[in-house]
Amino acid sequence: MGFSINDKRPLPPVGATKKNITCEFCIVGCGYTAYKWPKGTSGSDKRNALGVDFSKQQPALGVWASEQMVNSVIDRDGKEYNVMVIPDQNCVVNLGQNSARGGAMAATLYSKSTFTRDRLKDPQVYGGNNLNRTTWGDATDLAARVLKKIIDNDGPDQIAFKAFDHGGGGGGYENTWGTGKLFFKAIQTRSAAIHNRPAYNSEVHATREMGIGELNTSYYDTELSDTIFVIGANPYETQSNLFIMHWAQNLQGGTIDAKKKEFDRGETAESGKIIFVDPRVTSSITNAVALAGKDNVLHLRIKPGTDVTLMNALFTYIHEKGWEAKDFIKKHTENFKKTANANAVSLRKASKVTGISVSDIKKAASWIAKPKKSGHRPRTAIYYEKGIIWGIKNYENVASIANLAILTQSVGRVGTGVCRLGGHQEGYVRPETPEGMPGRKNLVVIDAEAAEGNYLAFFAWGCNPFVDSIMGERLATSIKRRSDIVKKAMSRNIGADNETMADAIYRACKYDGGLFMIDIDIYPTFKSEVAHVEFPAATTMEMNLTSMNGERRVRLSEKIVDAPGTAKPDCLIAAEIANAIKSLYKKEGNTKMAKRFEGFNWKTEEDAFNDGFAGQGAKMDSQGGPTGVLASYDLLRANGNNGVQNPIKKVSNGKLVGTRRLYTDNKFGTKSGKAMFQPTPQPPMPRQVKNQMKKYEFWVNSGRVNEVWQSNYHTSRLPMPSTRWPIAPMEINPKDAHAKGISNGDLVMLHNDYGSIRVVAYVTDSTRSGELFVAFGFPNSPLNNLVTDFVDPDTKIPFYKGTAASMRKIGRVEDIANTMSFKSRI
Amino acid sequence: MKEPQSSRRGFLKAAAGMTAVAAAAPALLASQSSKNGNFYGYEEKVVGLASKIKGAGEMDFNYPDVDSPCKAVMVNGQIKAYSLLCTHKGCPIMYNATKKAFRCPCHFSEFDAQLDGQMIIGQATENIPEILVKIEDDKIIAYGVNGLIYGRESNIKG
Ligand code: SF4
Ligand code: FES
Repeated sequence: MGFSINDKRPLPPVGATKKNITCEFCIVGCGYTAYKWPKGTSGSDKRNALGVDFSKQQPALGVWASEQMVNSVIDRDGKEYNVMVIPDQNCVVNLGQNSARGGAMAATLYSKSTFTRDRLKDPQVYGGNNLNRTTWGDATDLAARVLKKIIDNDGPDQIAFKAFDHGGGGGGYENTWGTGKLFFKAIQTRSAAIHNRPAYNSEVHATREMGIGELNTSYYDTELSDTIFVIGANPYETQSNLFIMHWAQNLQGGTIDAKKKEFDRGETAESGKIIFVDPRVTSSITNAVALAGKDNVLHLRIKPGTDVTLMNALFTYIHEKGWEAKDFIKKHTENFKKTANANAVSLRKASKVTGISVSDIKKAASWIAKPKKSGHRPRTAIYYEKGIIWGIKNYENVASIANLAILTQSVGRVGTGVCRLGGHQEGYVRPETPEGMPGRKNLVVIDAEAAEGNYLAFFAWGCNPFVDSIMGERLATSIKRRSDIVKKAMSRNIGADNETMADAIYRACKYDGGLFMIDIDIYPTFKSEVAHVEFPAATTMEMNLTSMNGERRVRLSEKIVDAPGTAKPDCLIAAEIANAIKSLYKKEGNTKMAKRFEGFNWKTEEDAFNDGFAGQGAKMDSQGGPTGVLASYDLLRANGNNGVQNPIKKVSNGKLVGTRRLYTDNKFGTKSGKAMFQPTPQPPMPRQVKNQMKKYEFWVNSGRVNEVWQSNYHTSRLPMPSTRWPIAPMEINPKDAHAKGISNGDLVMLHNDYGSIRVVAYVTDSTRSGELFVAFGFPNSPLNNLVTDFVDPDTKIPFYKGTAASMRKIGRVEDIANTMSFKSRI
Repeated sequence: MKEPQSSRRGFLKAAAGMTAVAAAAPALLASQSSKNGNFYGYEEKVVGLASKIKGAGEMDFNYPDVDSPCKAVMVNGQIKAYSLLCTHKGCPIMYNATKKAFRCPCHFSEFDAQLDGQMIIGQATENIPEILVKIEDDKIIAYGVNGLIYGRESNIKG
């Protein structure tokens, strides 16, 4: 025994397999390099695949693999390998930098000796009180038989699905295409919902309808902005490398030379300023102050739900001062006058509504729009995310921000843009939704319908509806009850062949209120407890996967290891299901229906890519657009971790050439080609939320902590994040904590009419008195249990960020209270 | 949640166990350790005097070699010591004696000196490595490192 487990790492030998990986986590999509080599072999400290001499201490910001960046795996050939995944110095997105999430990618790999060992390995079918491992043929046959009965007797809309629509891990163009083709072209259901919300909608309908796609600039452009305006986002923790690699440079004055090069002649070029609209003091804000100095950071500490009034006040004041982009408005926009009139609000009134001082509103307006010393219009990049998207009313919230961008021409020009910051990467290519799919105002709220007893079958695909939907507790209770009805029917038919079993399942759904649940995922979750058939999926590093990041940068993230057991890419799972249904129709001689399920003759994920993103062009709903057809795995591989920014312009010398910024020609995505202002009156507090506010003591806001990704599926299995955050923290102001007799580490129950959760108290000035902040997405303390059933009637996007609850101190669990730090994070 | 493999916390417990064993049965430990008979191959090194830290609150030293800057601090009435190289990208972390935490000036990761170097917030994938120390006759003796020091593939070079 020479060394302990954690003070030495193996090094890849020269010649180790080397692949490009795009980070599977957030929208920034940082580039990584993965190495794989047989266990037992190793590079030496002087000679290794990294080309780094580790006999010497490496300098800061150098190449290094931390403990979490190395793992050992067993491939399907039965051989053991070491795998190292480190940030790529040559990727323009992250320049060799990792975040707390992406840096742990190697640790997320399936390994028999860590907590990732519970990955789903084979298909499973319910029987005898358990899910039982079985073959793909058996599981798909049973599922196909039930689904076929529903399609034939009740119509495809009785099959509901809730699935990812994104890129990165658990998504990507291959997989959105595979699932989309299954549901929209083959099954043809209109009962569709997206992974983190209860309907099949966009989170940014408003900006799209105003003619501006939500990802229209580049990260490089944000290095050139005079002002970065951030609304409802905490990028240090959730788009980390955008903040620390790109914005930090700008805020510190490190990009002034680049500005001089890119700006107009004689235009003032100084270090950037930043404005945050947030009810909390976040680490993004305190770190921005450390970078830019407090005179260059403005925090507008807004009262919850009043963002629209703030945006309208900024609009009104900028217009009043004559700082709007007059020429641009005249030539390239419409609906300006009507919007200006409808949105007019006095600064005094706005200050009262939002809680922000008149002088701060004026200051923000001048940073956003007041001509610079040289007389040039400032270059403002506007960024927003879930704090506004999941706010009081999704449509107006987003529209009011886009209004401000159009007013100040903060789009299309160097250093500008009006973008969502994003959660996952993007990865959308799907057939158009089936005929008769309701428009955005009439979309069906699928999760609520399922909870009320509608649908006969329900797919939960690569998502956890019980953590990421409205009124989580009610939804879980109802689905469990309906699932149990099917389970009882299955238990009564133990030993039956698949046709008899499918019939029993179908009858339980049709006549007894049951719901046939199909789960597709990588880990067991609460879904496994309600599933009747479960399929194991592959994810990043286990398959080739293409996605695009927050600046539309498409990369091929390559396969480096085998997925556990017989797990498959989601696109190939979709193909298995489609082919199984097809063969049933064929057997009964129904060629018409069999034809509907054709087109899934894919052997690999590359086949699905070539059929979808690279095959459809403008024919389908694809982020690649008409020029997506120029892409191929080979070309993307050649462009490496820097990929190509959508839309692809051309192929030149074997390289894909893309687009840095959109709308440089001032042609927008409306019928007229003009950007469209929209009147955005301040939305009222929804009735359901108001009721909770009347009955319960605290306003409850929610968001993320940086180490935890999404529903915590990987991160709860990693040593560091699981120790740091054993359950969801609840930030509480010291004054409220004192009044309630609560101290750091106390276990607290939050409850309201919709449900309850247990959280751990974290006393901090980050949060104001009367307001709590709870981390979102923890399956062991799901905040959405407290979320009401309100959705914006115009988009069906929930108000996840707004509810109210009272608290009850429960006591202490020492293992939680003593193992996590409660020191200030701001 | 208990970790299935040697976690940092588990390792620390194991370390404490092993020093106890060392006192009782040095021969047994020697058979499990490296050539010089020390803890997992680490050399013992006197890095300072406990009485001095108690006054000053903190003390800089290098361990296991000159390229690895470390700091010993008084927390919870105890001497604890940590690597000063940020486990994110290796910038030198600064000690805040009031907060009893380290902060990295590069990308603002912070580590709790009262909780084995746990990351409070930040971009590192690891807590800050703890330098294992014991006190003998006022001498602070470093005898091991728990966690990989930034910029190395092995804490002990060569
Ligand atoms: S910033 Fe986002 S994409 Fe980059 S490493 Fe972190 S999680 Fe991954
Ligand atoms: S080097 Fe310390 S936070 Fe990045």
